[in-house]
Amino acid sequence: MTLTDSVLNELREIVGAEWVLTAPEDMLCYAYDGTFSEGHPDAVVLPASVPEVQAIVRLANREGIPIIPRGMGSGLAGATVPFEGGIAVTLTRMNRIIEIDPVDMVAVVEAGVITGDLQSEVEAKGLFFPPDPSSLKHCTIGGNVACNAGGPRCLKYGVTRDYVMAIQVVLADGRVMRVGTRTAKNATGYSLSHLFISSEGTLGIVTEVTLRLLPLPRSVQTALAVFPRLSDASETVTAVLQAGIRPVTLELMDETAIRCVEDYLHLGLPLDAEAILLIECDGEESQVASEIASVARLCQEHGASVKTASAKKDRDDLWRARRAISGSLARQRPNKLGEDIVVPRHAIPAMVARLKEISREFDVPIVIFGHAGDGNLHPNMLFDRRNPEEWARVQKCTAAIFEASVELGGTLSGEHGVGTLKRPYMSMAMDPVALETMKVIKQALDPLDILNPGKVVTE
Amino acid sequence: MVETREVLDVQVDPWRCTRCGACLAVCPTYRVLGRETESPRGRLALARAMSDGRLEPGAHTAELAYRCALCAACNNACPSGLQVDHILLGLRSQLASHDLLPDALKRLQSAIAQKHNILGEEQQSRALWYEGDGMGDRINKQAEIVYFVGCVSALFPSGYALPQQTVRLMKASGLDFTILGGEEWCCGYPLVLNGREDAVADIARNLVRHVQALGAKTLVTSCPSCYHAWKHIYPEIVPDMKLEVLHVSELLVRQIREGRLKLQQVPPMTVTFHDSCDLGRRSKVYEPPRELIQAIPGIKLVEMRDNRANALCCGGGGNMESAAPKLVEEASARRLQQAVETGATAVVTACPQCRRTLTGAARRGKVRMRVMDLAELLAKAVPE
Repeated sequence: MTLTDSVLNELREIVGAEWVLTAPEDMLCYAYDGTFSEGHPDAVVLPASVPEVQAIVRLANREGIPIIPRGMGSGLAGATVPFEGGIAVTLTRMNRIIEIDPVDMVAVVEAGVITGDLQSEVEAKGLFFPPDPSSLKHCTIGGNVACNAGGPRCLKYGVTRDYVMAIQVVLADGRVMRVGTRTAKNATGYSLSHLFISSEGTLGIVTEVTLRLLPLPRSVQTALAVFPRLSDASETVTAVLQAGIRPVTLELMDETAIRCVEDYLHLGLPLDAEAILLIECDGEESQVASEIASVARLCQEHGASVKTASAKKDRDDLWRARRAISGSLARQRPNKLGEDIVVPRHAIPAMVARLKEISREFDVPIVIFGHAGDGNLHPNMLFDRRNPEEWARVQKCTAAIFEASVELGGTLSGEHGVGTLKRPYMSMAMDPVALETMKVIKQALDPLDILNPGKVVTE
Repeated sequence: MVETREVLDVQVDPWRCTRCGACLAVCPTYRVLGRETESPRGRLALARAMSDGRLEPGAHTAELAYRCALCAACNNACPSGLQVDHILLGLRSQLASHDLLPDALKRLQSAIAQKHNILGEEQQSRALWYEGDGMGDRINKQAEIVYFVGCVSALFPSGYALPQQTVRLMKASGLDFTILGGEEWCCGYPLVLNGREDAVADIARNLVRHVQALGAKTLVTSCPSCYHAWKHIYPEIVPDMKLEVLHVSELLVRQIREGRLKLQQVPPMTVTFHDSCDLGRRSKVYEPPRELIQAIPGIKLVEMRDNRANALCCGGGGNMESAAPKLVEEASARRLQQAVETGATAVVTACPQCRRTLTGAARRGKVRMRVMDLAELLAKAVPE
C-alpha cells in the first residue's frame, strides 16, 4: 500500500513534517523488531501527545490504513513488524514520567518511557518497579504493557500485568478511554485495563499507564549452584519452593548454554556440569541471609557446588554467565529463534527432556535457559536462515516445541507475546471458544481491522 | 555441540546483528532524537541493505551515515561483540567513493589536503598559542620527546590554555621535549572518519619520518584522536615505526609516580572526569587521568552515572561537528547534565575536542559548571 500525498500531508500537519518519515532509509530501519522478521511500513510517524495519536488514528480509520504501534522495537514475536505496510506509530517521543507518588505508591508514565529509566527514578526515591525484562534498558513501558513483559524477578514479584492499575488508551475510532484507578482495590465494573495487557496493539494504542510501586528491598543475596545432573537441578527448584522460600529469581542454564558461555568468556565453568541454577533472595538483611543459607544447603544436598555473594560487585560476577548467554549464542550461528514456552513447575524436568529429544530429532541445536522457578523457559534454536533446508527444520522444530509445551499443560508464551511468529499455533494452545471470544472482542473494538492487523488472532 | 566461528568474522559482519536493540540505550544520537534511523541498529540495517543492493548509495544515506559520533558505545553494549563503528566506517568509505561526502566534510578534507590542518588556515597559526612564551628553543629541535599538539589545541584560541599548561607541566617535570610548531600536520584521523583511510598513508609516513628525524623516542599527544591515529593506525602503515606513543595523562602519571612532578595543596574542589571516546573505549586509557586528579591534594573526584567504558559521548567525535552541529549541541547538553547531577563544580576532560564541546554546552545552557582540561587542573597544583 502506498500512502497518497494528501494522507502524508495530513500526517505532517498533525505531528510536524520533521516527525513523519518516508525516506527509503527510514522504511528499512522500521522494518524489524528484535527477531529476524521484516516488513516495511509506508510511513513512520512519531507523535508527541495524545491528541496527535488520536488524529493519526482517525485519519487511518477514515482511509483504512493499517497502524502498527511501537516503541523501541525490542519485541521478540514479530508484533511490531509492519507486514502489511501502513503507518508505524512510534511512541518514543512520549517519554515523560508524569508523576511518582510515594504516598499512593504509584508512578504515572507516558507509553514511551524506557523501563530502566523509570526503575532508576523510582529507586532513587526508595521505591521499586519489579518487572525486569532483559531488554529493560531498551524497551518501553507501552510495549511492556502491550506484551505483558516479565523477567527473572517475576518469580517473586509477578509480571507487568500485576503492576498496571490504570491505563489511558486511544481506541480504533480515535476516542480516548481511561480505565482503572490509582486505588489499591477496584471492583467497579469490568477490568478493562487487563483487556489491553497482552493485546499487542491490536485493540488500542496505550498512551499512559499508572503503575503500582513497592518499597525497595533493603538487601539482596545471590547463590550460584553448579549441578552435575540436570535432574538434580530440577528437583532443587521444587525443593526450594516447597521449603517456603520465595526467591526473587531462580534461573536455569543447561549444559549447552554453559558450553556456549564458556566458549565465549572462558569463565572456568565446569564443562561436565549439566545445569547451573542462579538463585537470588531479597528483603530484610537477616531474613535474606537465612534464606540464602537454606537455598545453599538444599542445593548442596542435591549434589551441587555453591557460591554465594552479597556485595553488588560479587553478585554481578555470579550473574556474568547468565547475562552472557544471549551474546554467546550470536557468536555461534547467524540466526537464533528464542521461544518463550511456559509449563507448570512440576513439568520442567519433562519439558527439558522433551527439548533435548526435539533437538536431536530435527538436528537443530537448542540452548535451554530461562526462569525455572516459574516454568518459563527460553529454548533458543540456532541456525542459518539463508539455508532453506535448515530453516524448514527449524520451523518443524518450533511446532514440536509448542506441541510438547501444550501437552504438558503449558502454553506458547510466558512473557514475549504472540505477534506473528506464534499466531499459527494459537489454535493449538487456546480453547476454540476462547479464541472465538478474542476475535469477537477484536471485531467489536476494531471493526475495520486497522490496529496492528495480522497479529495475535486476526489472519 | 555447535561449531564455534571465528570471532573476527562476527565483529565486522552487519548480518550478525541479532537486532536485540541493546545499542539503542547507549547511543547519544538515538537518545537525543528517538529515531531508529539515527541508531546503531538502524545504521547496521542500512549497511546490510547497501551490501545486498536493496539500497543505492545516495545523498540521504550519506547524510545519515555522517550523523554519528563514532563513539563506539554501541560496540561496548553489543552482546554479539559487533564492532559497529568499523562497519559504519566501511559504509562511509563506500559512500565517499561515490563522491557522496557531505559538503562540510569535503571542505574539511580539502583543508587537510591543502593546508595540513582542519581549519584550512595558514600553518603559522599553529604558533599563536606560544608566541612570546619562550618556546623558541623547543621548536623542531632534537629531543627525547615530541609533544604533538594537535589541530584543536593549536588553532582554537579559547583552548590555548591546554597546550600552554601542558608545556608548563612538562617543563616542571624537567622533560627533554620539542614541538613541531608550524610544521606539525593534521594527523589525518578526520580523513579516516570521513571514510578515506587511504588518504592517511602519506601523512603517516611523513609525520613518522619527521618525528624520528628529531631523534625522539616518545611521542606525546593531548588529543585522544591524534593518540589513536599514532598509536593504532600509523604502526600499520609504517611497520618499522619506533616510537612509544603516550597520551599526556600517561606521561604525567609517570612523572608523579617517579617524583619528578610535585603537586601542592589547592583550594578544595569537587570535580568529575569525562572519558573521551578515543582515549577511553578506543584505547582503554581510563585510569591515568583519574590517578592524576586524585593525586592533587584538595581535589575530590566523583564519577558520572555513565563512566569509563560506558561513558556517554559529548557528541564531538566522528566529524559530527562538521556534519550535524545541532545534534552535537543536544548530545553535549545531555552529557553536561550528567556532570551536573554529580554535584561537582567542574568537569575535567582529557581531550581538547570534548573540552570545546562541553564548554559550548555550558555556555548555551547557562550551566554553572567549569569545563577544564586535565593539564589546566594539574597546573593549579604546580607553582609558577
